[in-house]
Amino acid sequence: MKSLTKTPLAWKNLTHDMRRLVVAICGIAFAVLLMFTQVGFQNALFDSQVKLIDDLAGDIFIVSKAKYTLAAEKRFPISRLNQARSCPGVEGAYPIYTELTTSVVRRINNGMGNLGYPLRTIGFHLDDPVFESNEINDQSPKLRVKGTALLDRKSKQSKFPFPLDDDAALEQEYVELAGKRLTLVGTFDLGTDFAHDGNLLMSAESFAEFYPHRVRFGDPLSVIDIGVVDVDPAADVDEVRTFLEQTLDKDVFVMTRAQFRAEEIRFWDKSTPIGTVFLAGKIIGFIVGMVICYQVIYSDIADHMAEFATLKAMGYTTRYFIVLILTEAVLLAVVGFIPGTAVSTGLYTWLSGRTGLLMVMTLHGVLFVLVATIVMCVASGMLAVRKLLAADPANLF
Amino acid sequence: MTSQTTIPATSGAFTGSGLQMPKTVRVNGLNHYFGEGELRKQALYHNNLDVRRGEIVIMTGPSGSGKTTLLTLIGTLRTVQEGSLTVLGNELNGADRDLIVRLRKEMGFIFQAHNLFESLTAYQNVNMAAELVGLDPMVAEGRINSLLTRLGLGHRIHYKPKSLSGGQKQRVAIARGLVHKPKLILADEPTAALDEKSGREVVTLFQELARDEGCTIIMVTHDNRILDVADRIVNMVDGKIKSNVAVKETAVICDFLKGFPLFADLTPNTIAELADQMMVHEADPGDVVIRQGDAGDLFYLIRTGRVDVFINDGTQERKVAELKEGQYFGEAALITDEPRNATIVAHEPCIFYALGKDDFRAVLETSATFEEELRQALFRRQ
Repeated sequence: MKSLTKTPLAWKNLTHDMRRLVVAICGIAFAVLLMFTQVGFQNALFDSQVKLIDDLAGDIFIVSKAKYTLAAEKRFPISRLNQARSCPGVEGAYPIYTELTTSVVRRINNGMGNLGYPLRTIGFHLDDPVFESNEINDQSPKLRVKGTALLDRKSKQSKFPFPLDDDAALEQEYVELAGKRLTLVGTFDLGTDFAHDGNLLMSAESFAEFYPHRVRFGDPLSVIDIGVVDVDPAADVDEVRTFLEQTLDKDVFVMTRAQFRAEEIRFWDKSTPIGTVFLAGKIIGFIVGMVICYQVIYSDIADHMAEFATLKAMGYTTRYFIVLILTEAVLLAVVGFIPGTAVSTGLYTWLSGRTGLLMVMTLHGVLFVLVATIVMCVASGMLAVRKLLAADPANLF
Repeated sequence: MTSQTTIPATSGAFTGSGLQMPKTVRVNGLNHYFGEGELRKQALYHNNLDVRRGEIVIMTGPSGSGKTTLLTLIGTLRTVQEGSLTVLGNELNGADRDLIVRLRKEMGFIFQAHNLFESLTAYQNVNMAAELVGLDPMVAEGRINSLLTRLGLGHRIHYKPKSLSGGQKQRVAIARGLVHKPKLILADEPTAALDEKSGREVVTLFQELARDEGCTIIMVTHDNRILDVADRIVNMVDGKIKSNVAVKETAVICDFLKGFPLFADLTPNTIAELADQMMVHEADPGDVVIRQGDAGDLFYLIRTGRVDVFINDGTQERKVAELKEGQYFGEAALITDEPRNATIVAHEPCIFYALGKDDFRAVLETSATFEEELRQALFRRQ
């Protein structure tokens, strides 16, 4: 009760000079926007790295232990999948084949040269339920003809200038893949990432035709890039995963969807400069905000030195002043965060529309930026409070 | 046996009633320095000052005389370096933070600048002081409203400083200094920014606080319109207290002195100076204050008590008179330079104010010179 009736000096000082408050809010909102932009781009880019995983059906994934990222061409023998199929709780285990280095598309057209563009070829058995997307499943009959493929609509336009919206025209295009004639029979939706400029989707049989030398001697389909395991809905995914891990030879990782996703993101975050670049961006936003916040609080203190010294003379203690400035800092953080988040949401929507990147306000992202903003304001408040503690009431007389 | 003290008569250490009020502030041998090492400069030199509860003290003196330094030391705003300073019963030399914070809450500060928060209304600014001492909000509200109304701001209670005049802001600051009923008020030129009427209202308020609440007030001021409220006037020069005068007691002494025919022609200024030279003497019943035949070196004024006068005519000692408060003795020997012509014995506990022979003579000479000069001046007019 008593604390409620206390004069809200922090709030009053903050809101007294409206012009200064607006400038402060703009500054902190800008810092919030900077951080949100970094968080948004980072999440969008990481999301696009794992888009293939998100599009795959299945509960558990098996990859070679040497495969440190989706783009690494490390494979494991098909026998591991056969082993998996025999485990309790497993409904099915299906292979996914990918090829990147030898997967080069050439467009032979009107003597336009024959520069090759690498992209990723994904092969799967047409009867295996490995894709979530209805678009792919509906078109899979078209792929039964050997030498046919679906082209990713989001493949880089500058490198793959095909008539994407017209299947008939697309089929007329004269395209070579890995030195063999390829017929594009339709399009699907996957998206690009750091390692892949585009994607082709085809049947395992066609895949074997295009890439017969995946295995030096023997069946090119006997080595697998990603194993997709369906778990019986009645069984516990984690238990099945643990069982698989113990049963299969030690040359493979067995991961749940979340683990697989996290591992892939971890690689891009930690093992490439990408994480660092975005971290730097976030730190810059943080520092910009801190400088602005420090300026606002410092000038508030500097303008009221005599008043604060009077409070000291009256018997207000150091603790009161620290709490006062902390309150002011947190209030600044909150009033700056709200408009900053609103503008960021708008920017996310606009950027998603423009770039095709998946910019989403996640709860995790919002909490991260909120905490960063509060820490930023409190830290600068603590730096500025030293000025206040130096206020000397002896100079008042 | 009479005891001779070095306490000046005008210090008011012994009032007519003899009642000793507790000391709010006691300054003893206080030195203060500014700067370090080579640049170290002494600002206060061995100052002594006692201020009683309920006294209104006005400190005067030229700028740089150290009165502000003394005020900030009393107000715990500076650390005591040398000497003893007791405020509200607590020694400040070596006091810790907790004591200082506690003492500050019992004091009211009124600074020359108003130092109000622009963001708070007059009410809220005053409330900052009430909140700190944990005043009940209801009580605080009543007190703030009545104080501000009393100071002529009843219609501006919820105005922000921006819409108040300089004088009004100063009055809000005064209300802030008084709202928590401090036991000691330290003020620096509190009335400088005020017009005659509101300045008078402020000092009347001070007087009421001193009288009704026993609040002690020490203020530095050059505003001679308010000198009349002072119980004590302290004058500082060059870091020393040059004079420290209890106004009422001095008036009493001057009144007594004027009754003495030799001093009747003196100007009030000279009489006040004379009063300043007098020292306090104490005597118990039966004590012989002066003895017939001794050399005379002091002139006595009876402040309290009665004495008997005995004259020895060679054969026997005979009581010739009884002297009481306001009367004097011992002047004859000083004027004539002869031995004492009577013996004075205290009849009851007595307090005398005594004046040394040299001072007594000097005053008489001043008086003569004055008369001489006056004659000369009148003569030259012709």
